[in-house]
Amino acid sequence: MNKIKIILFGFILLNIAADAQTKKPDFSVIGTMGVTYEGYGLNRNPSGWTGYTPRRPWNQVRFNFMPNFKFGKNLSIPFNISMAALPTNFAGPYSGFIPGGPKQDFKQWITNPVNNIAVNPKYKWAELQLGTQYLKYSELSTGDIGIFGAGFDLRPKSYRIKFFTGVSQAGINYFSGPPTITGAFKRNNWMFQIGKEKEGKYELSLNVAKGKDFINSSAPPPLTVKPQEGAIVSLLSNIYFNKGWYVKMEGAQSVFTRDLTTPTTTLIKSFDPFIKAHTSTVRDYAATAAIGKKGKNFDVGISSKYFGAGFQTAGYPFLQPDRFDYLLNTKLNTWKNKMNIVASLGQRVNNISSTTLKANQFIGNLNWFTQFNDQWSLNVNYNNFGFQSASGLNPYGIKNVSNDFGFSPTYTWSNTKMSNMLSFSYNYSKYDERDVLTGTTTGNNTHTALLTYVPSYFKKNLTPDFSIMYFHNDVLLAKTSLVTLSSGLAMPIAKNKIQLRGQLQYNLVKLNAFKNDNNLIASCNVDWKISKQFSWNTFLSSNYFKYGNSIIPTGANYLESMCRTGFQYKFDTKKKQ
Amino acid sequence: MKKWIASIFLLITTQSVLAQVNINMTLAGRPPANLSEWANRREVLTFVMSGSQMDQLVVKIKAEIKTLDGTVIGTTNLNSAKSYSPLPGASTILGALDVLPLEYMIFTGKYQSILTKTGKLPADNYVLCVQLVRLPDYSPASNLVCKNFYLAAYQLPTLMMPANEQELNANIAQSAITFRWTPVVPNAATPVTYRLQVFEVLPQQQNVQALRSNQPLLDKNIVGTAQYIWMPQLSMLPTNPTENSDADSTQKNGERNKKGIPIKFIWTIQTLDSFGMPLNQTDGNGESRSEPLIFYVKFPKVSLNKE
Repeated sequence: MNKIKIILFGFILLNIAADAQTKKPDFSVIGTMGVTYEGYGLNRNPSGWTGYTPRRPWNQVRFNFMPNFKFGKNLSIPFNISMAALPTNFAGPYSGFIPGGPKQDFKQWITNPVNNIAVNPKYKWAELQLGTQYLKYSELSTGDIGIFGAGFDLRPKSYRIKFFTGVSQAGINYFSGPPTITGAFKRNNWMFQIGKEKEGKYELSLNVAKGKDFINSSAPPPLTVKPQEGAIVSLLSNIYFNKGWYVKMEGAQSVFTRDLTTPTTTLIKSFDPFIKAHTSTVRDYAATAAIGKKGKNFDVGISSKYFGAGFQTAGYPFLQPDRFDYLLNTKLNTWKNKMNIVASLGQRVNNISSTTLKANQFIGNLNWFTQFNDQWSLNVNYNNFGFQSASGLNPYGIKNVSNDFGFSPTYTWSNTKMSNMLSFSYNYSKYDERDVLTGTTTGNNTHTALLTYVPSYFKKNLTPDFSIMYFHNDVLLAKTSLVTLSSGLAMPIAKNKIQLRGQLQYNLVKLNAFKNDNNLIASCNVDWKISKQFSWNTFLSSNYFKYGNSIIPTGANYLESMCRTGFQYKFDTKKKQ
Repeated sequence: MKKWIASIFLLITTQSVLAQVNINMTLAGRPPANLSEWANRREVLTFVMSGSQMDQLVVKIKAEIKTLDGTVIGTTNLNSAKSYSPLPGASTILGALDVLPLEYMIFTGKYQSILTKTGKLPADNYVLCVQLVRLPDYSPASNLVCKNFYLAAYQLPTLMMPANEQELNANIAQSAITFRWTPVVPNAATPVTYRLQVFEVLPQQQNVQALRSNQPLLDKNIVGTAQYIWMPQLSMLPTNPTENSDADSTQKNGERNKKGIPIKFIWTIQTLDSFGMPLNQTDGNGESRSEPLIFYVKFPKVSLNKE
């Protein structure tokens, strides 16, 4: 019922917008709205074979409504609404809310990341934030989570005052399944920022963010997730000097309780008034710093990050702490912009706190592009990373080294009728892994070669392309070869109102001495621009894969099919006026 | 010789009279690195005390954590620790919450400092010694039980390839994409499973939102190696609708933007133990998911010279 109300509300606004387009000259609407249907099919043979799993929902309808209503110079009301008719969560606490699984209630539906309902009315420098917002205050405080709630973003002159509070996670009961629902505790978040900013000159801000789980918000509670609470304070300072020089710094302290069910303690200092210490409370620091220069033809910079082992924030739930890394990078355009070099060199050290084994990573990248003349260009790249750790209880430590080298020459030529582009690229990748028990190093070598030809006719609207790729991977006990032939053709029809594009691809896969696997993929795009504002886009594809005898049952095969069709409407009253 | 035997017999008899409660303890050789997590897992520590047949005692549990050289780094504050009264003739079974109550444990110097910051002790071999003591003089009321254990926190894999925000050539990526990551450190006692997941990021979605809400295009369990070559057959998947909305955008200013496959992806590794459960349930997100990275699949821009 609530979903219907929201959709109706959207259409009422649309009508208002349509009226306004004809009546009020100082009113404008820009943005898009649309509806898309996706259908997916998978037939596997022989019947009952499950060696290939579906990778799309069988059916899905998506709505988006993203107009920005502008009333004169100072007032705007942008909407950001996107919804899916069916939940498709596979990772995280909402996983299991899939068709055929348990139903979600309204609170769970509205906080489910598959749906996003937000409106941000803005008058001059004051913005009201309502609904689901993904707000990034800084790199260390908060930025990766969507929160359904309310707040504001005030920017009088150079001052910045921001506040937001809401629910990032509804309570979800554990369900053994199938499908299993991991479950989650309800989590409330709030965040605050005060600062000063002058674009291109400086930025200074103090950020505070907190997240807290409610222990009794799910029954039965999750088996593997603990109720948590965390707060963070960070100070950010960015300064931009003349001639492109910049200095960026941020320091933060987090206090995080990993399990609110653990006993409270006085042996660990509380973070009053935000956090009362438990035996699972940790308190640690993080810092980032960068210094460098950005120019038209030359960039150079060094950046470093430090995350203490106990640093944890609710705003970046996937952040991996206990590390120090630095990266030196540079970019150079020279030879009248015909030569472009991008390089970076870095190191990462894990285990700052000695609570695990020391591990080192080295990363080096180089990409060198040169346009020799109108016909010839060459791109060369080299990537390296190494990872090494102490042995611990094993006889040998981990040591993995990856080296990738590639080059890609391109030749372009043309005559009065057409232009041609022929490109070749080759990449060699070597990856060595050491076994920690025997000390034996296993090599893993990959060769990839690609040849692409793209003709372009000056007087015809046909745009074909052809490519052939060879891929070979050689690892102990497994040699895999892959050959891909691919060709595409694009052409406009109906006075350029419809753009057609088709692609055909054939893959041949060979594993060791087994019989070849064969794969054929055909796809087609039909994009019809019905009017300047209204378009209908359709995509159809089919993918047939037949195994040789590399898997059991012999001769297994599958047919995947995909259909996506959707209407998009572009609001754009500005152009009309 | 007889004097020696008599002395030993006397000592044992005296000890058993003084120590009226028998205790026994089992401790996992490699318990969770987070000390507060011990209490959540019954298999980590089991402590059994069997009361005397004679009378009921009031005792406290004195626990000490030592390094292998015998240095005591943590001990129970007996003044504030909880008291127990083992029932005569019966056995009482306790867990880590009672034996190692962190709210009453005093750690020394750097160990306290690291514990406050991380909730863990430095990676090393330790000994846990437990004994019951009487009130009010804290004299021994049981035998002393010591068990060795090794602590080392797991560091989840770091995703290496494709690197963050790397653009892959679609002509190759539509057929094969190589994923590499660093292995979990230290090596787990039993082989871990790396669950590799790749999600498409739709146009209106934030990166982590896509990971949380979309069906993965790839969901593969990998054991024993830190590399996987994915043959994604990408060209059978549609490009995002908004990318296609402008029908005449394929040829603009001599540049061609070929279409037909999705553009933006987010990938991550979930590390699972031998039971299929997240390896590290208390650190970070509790799901043992490594920090996800973004990569793009794009056809190279082609500049075609017109004469």
